[in-house]
Amino acid sequence: MASKSVAKKLKRKTSRGPSANGAQAAPAKWVGQPIRRKEENRLVSGRGIFVDDEKMPGMLHIKFVRSSYPHAKIARLDVSQAEKFPGVVCTLTGAEIKKQVQPFIEIGPGGAQKIADYPMAVGKVVFQGEPVAAVVAETRLAAEDAAELVEVDYEPLQPVVTAENALKDESLLHPAMGTNRNWHGVFTYGDVEKAMKQAAHAVHIGRLHFHRFSSTPLECNVIIATWDPRSGDIEYHCNNTFPSFASQFLSPALGVRIDQIHMKSFDIGGGFGIKITSYPYMAVCALASRKARGRAVKWVETRIEHMQASAHGNERTFLDTRVALDKNGVVLAIDSKHVDDCGAFPRYEPLGCVIWAQVLPATYRVKNIRIDMHQVVTNKCPVGPNRGYSRMQHLWFMERILDICGQTLGIPADEMRLRNYIRKNEMPYKTPNGCVYDSGDYANMLSTAKKLIGWDDWKKKQAAARKEGRWIGLGIGSTLDSGTNNFGQARIINPDAPFSGQSKVGIVKLDIYGEVVVSMGSVPQGQGHETTAAQVVADALSITPDLVNVRPGFDTAHNAYTGHTGTYASQFAVTGLTAIHGAAMKLRKELSRLAAWKLQAKEKDLEFGVGAQGPEVRVSGTQKSINYWALANLVNVNNAGMPESLWDITLNCRHVFHANFQIPDVKRKYGNLTLTYAAQIHTAVVEVDRETFQPKILAYACVDDCGKAVNPRIVEGQVHGAAAHGIGAALLEDCAYDSDGNLLTATFSDYTPITAVNMPELLYAHTESPSPFTLNGAKGMGEGGAAPVHTICSALQDALYPTGVIIDDSHNTGDSLFRAVQKAETGGYAGMVQVEHRRPSR
Amino acid sequence: MYAAAFSYHRAASLQEAVKLLQDLGDDARIIAGGQSLIPLMKMRMTRPAALIDINFIPGLSEIQNSKGELRFGALARHADIEDSSVASAIPIVHDCATGIADVQVRNQGTIGGSLAEADPSGDWGTALLALDTTVVCFGPGGRHTVPFEAFIKDAYTTVLAHDEIVTAVHVKMPPKGSGGAHLAFKRSAPVYPTVSASVQLTLEDHNTCKDVRVILGCVGLTAIRAKEAEAAVRGKSLSEKNIQAASEAARAAAEPQSDMRGSAEYKRALVATLVKRAIAIAARRARGEHAEAGHEYVGR
Repeated sequence: MASKSVAKKLKRKTSRGPSANGAQAAPAKWVGQPIRRKEENRLVSGRGIFVDDEKMPGMLHIKFVRSSYPHAKIARLDVSQAEKFPGVVCTLTGAEIKKQVQPFIEIGPGGAQKIADYPMAVGKVVFQGEPVAAVVAETRLAAEDAAELVEVDYEPLQPVVTAENALKDESLLHPAMGTNRNWHGVFTYGDVEKAMKQAAHAVHIGRLHFHRFSSTPLECNVIIATWDPRSGDIEYHCNNTFPSFASQFLSPALGVRIDQIHMKSFDIGGGFGIKITSYPYMAVCALASRKARGRAVKWVETRIEHMQASAHGNERTFLDTRVALDKNGVVLAIDSKHVDDCGAFPRYEPLGCVIWAQVLPATYRVKNIRIDMHQVVTNKCPVGPNRGYSRMQHLWFMERILDICGQTLGIPADEMRLRNYIRKNEMPYKTPNGCVYDSGDYANMLSTAKKLIGWDDWKKKQAAARKEGRWIGLGIGSTLDSGTNNFGQARIINPDAPFSGQSKVGIVKLDIYGEVVVSMGSVPQGQGHETTAAQVVADALSITPDLVNVRPGFDTAHNAYTGHTGTYASQFAVTGLTAIHGAAMKLRKELSRLAAWKLQAKEKDLEFGVGAQGPEVRVSGTQKSINYWALANLVNVNNAGMPESLWDITLNCRHVFHANFQIPDVKRKYGNLTLTYAAQIHTAVVEVDRETFQPKILAYACVDDCGKAVNPRIVEGQVHGAAAHGIGAALLEDCAYDSDGNLLTATFSDYTPITAVNMPELLYAHTESPSPFTLNGAKGMGEGGAAPVHTICSALQDALYPTGVIIDDSHNTGDSLFRAVQKAETGGYAGMVQVEHRRPSR
Repeated sequence: MYAAAFSYHRAASLQEAVKLLQDLGDDARIIAGGQSLIPLMKMRMTRPAALIDINFIPGLSEIQNSKGELRFGALARHADIEDSSVASAIPIVHDCATGIADVQVRNQGTIGGSLAEADPSGDWGTALLALDTTVVCFGPGGRHTVPFEAFIKDAYTTVLAHDEIVTAVHVKMPPKGSGGAHLAFKRSAPVYPTVSASVQLTLEDHNTCKDVRVILGCVGLTAIRAKEAEAAVRGKSLSEKNIQAASEAARAAAEPQSDMRGSAEYKRALVATLVKRAIAIAARRARGEHAEAGHEYVGR
């Protein structure tokens, strides 16, 4: 499947800015250096600008009244007492805003188009925490006091809590849709049945479940909305991390032209994806501002609101999995039914129903795959993209298959992976569904991860410990962080979806006094974009990163956006930096032309660099030079006498990055869905205490390969963060609902996000497989594919194998392991894994 | 998250605090460290009409070793106790202080406030029951003391009348040959333990348990003194069999409820293990050996 022509084609066509003669950048000097982050000083010395720091003249505060029921009819809603409360300016109810807005766009086809998703509950509530009314007041305290006076009577309806129950359609969340199943499609590649017949071993695996967890950014959602009655424009100061997506939802819902929505974000205290779906709250804040005659309205989400009603990650159940393997344990085919649970409204969904297919075969060579994919709505918080979005669920499923089959056949976890990994010499590798894995050497990464943790030593220790009756397990998690998505995959979800491809904008200009200023088409939330952007521009202009002034945050007014603009899907290193590089190279070309005229030299004789008077352009081998101040001066304030041939020079250069994507073949569900594939291979040693059942991580190693690391220090930081998030998800964090649909983990005391005391020491190594498709060979990274979830499950499986426990859930606690061992002792896992050997295995 | 409106009063003396409690009535609450009260107020799960701040009353923060007792002022912060060389004379006290919630809470929360709050999961309520502890209170009739066994009546309920305040906690130094350990399982730093256990025992002849207390935390409406568990080792050798019997008796004595921290059955299993381990550590300490004890966390 290796396809050099694919590589060539993508390499040639992916845009990376002009490569004009005389304007070529010198070889990379700053890209690849672990320089300290430019934003660090500002942030650690309290000079960060977060939305809640902003105060507008006459600003009001909004408090939401939220449903305590997961599924209920609103029988009566009375805001009259709240409206009389001193300091209250107005209230809003679902019934009222229904008259003022259109329901949000639904991405899903067919019946899903009939879902009426309003930003507040209209007539009925469908999840606990759903806003039913809002109170707008002069102070936050008054708003909170008055909100308690809003009276709501509910008539409870039967809650739908699990995906399997949702499929029964006994109680419907959105009756107009006629079902709770909002999406269904079969992804089938190769010949699964033929492979099943040829298999030496057929393994049937019962129900597996990937739990619902979320991100816990330090900063919750915050919005300030001002709907100016004079211009009709809406100004948002907010921390939404995909503003272009949000405005495409808000514009039709609110009935304003999209250019009337002005969005600004500055520093953001973490996002991890789940701030993408804050747009319903943005809509309410704007409506509140309009009702308050254009006064600014601020909403600062509380942690409980965040846990209840912002967004959770997707929960997925894997049913009736059949795996065909050859006599050596090589996986030949996989057939399974997956039911994704997107909560009460499909907001970014059902995109998750295809996004997993970016990593269809995971890191493995398996060619015959059939996944019967369903998505259902349930009376739980709507999901939003959550770090590792939709791919991690599938990767976990694939890793469980490898481990369960390996143990069933008596093949060690490392050996099982080596036999199945895609080989280095097969890269770029075309997957059965037409994706192209750009580069990677998984076997080498595994070998590095094993060395790092001391795998062979631990194997010996494990054998000795087992004799003492201890439960120690070694685990491997192989995962992919697919980045730079092709929005064309939405067509697989809905053939009428009017979007495809991927793009980002960068603007690099020389301001009047010659400062290099970068406006980014990204929305950084801690990823260090200011630093990496400065590294790229420094190389492009042969200057130093400290001479590059990168504007933090996103601002519509910078005009550095397309409809794809945001920070999501592990891509800035590719899309954002390539756009910025392209803009910087355009600027270099302009500077080169200008300097050639002024210095009366040929462009090819010019050099760029930093001189005694700052950044400059000089004539090679002479004393002749002109600095950036003088060049900017010529264009901006001193341009009499400039020849007409230079009048096109603006020193304000905008470049749009385009990835070379095609629209996928919708019928076959086939096409290139993502540009780059960073990989993470983790190893762990976990002991389950035989008396307390507490899982203890004895050793943990992360090996990351994101191609060329633009800034290795930032990459390592991202790996640490993603590892902590994943370890938290594996052992602590769970958005748990009871059978009545009550969220049991609405506070940190119950959700227990991971803290430093839970973290093992992380051993870390970076391997570098440059992407052939990108500038500098970098790949997007940072999501991390939830590698620790796979790795810890793998280690737990290994540790508890002697007990008969099958790790069938992605979330494992002392309590759940205690119950699992009890279940195993009473034969509860009988039939969970069934194997049929057709020929003797080697 | 804003608390419902309340009035704030700063007491300059215990007498003034008591008077304020009387004047302001039943809806007034004392605030010390505020680490339980303030979050509850912000969630509006409690709505005191008035707060009486005792943090500015002098002389309530001392930690002293006096007349065979460790004496803690009610306002001694958990972190002060954690760092106190005086307090480390009783290892179980150090075990307990070190693992209470997280650094921020330990810096602010107080031992007196913790006892007055009487949360069934509070570490102090468990650890101090393993020792001879007396609570010093101040009320309209002046100063009086209450043995700690009689202080906490029920979950979140003490013997204090509305106009009485905890002013100090006195802990008798255990006799020579005595050792103790406080162990707790926590999921993450800021949360209450899933289960905690405190054991204080006195040895004679190196391995015979002359006296012992076994206290279980988080598994009942108050900390539970597991007397059957004590009986299983008191006056006996600390053999594996006897310790096992104590551990099983503790399991039976626990009255846990299922919640997000764990199922009732699992908590019972944890109780049994923690008691077994606490006895072993307490015994080693009683023999003068060094042994680590404290809070254990998921993952590490």
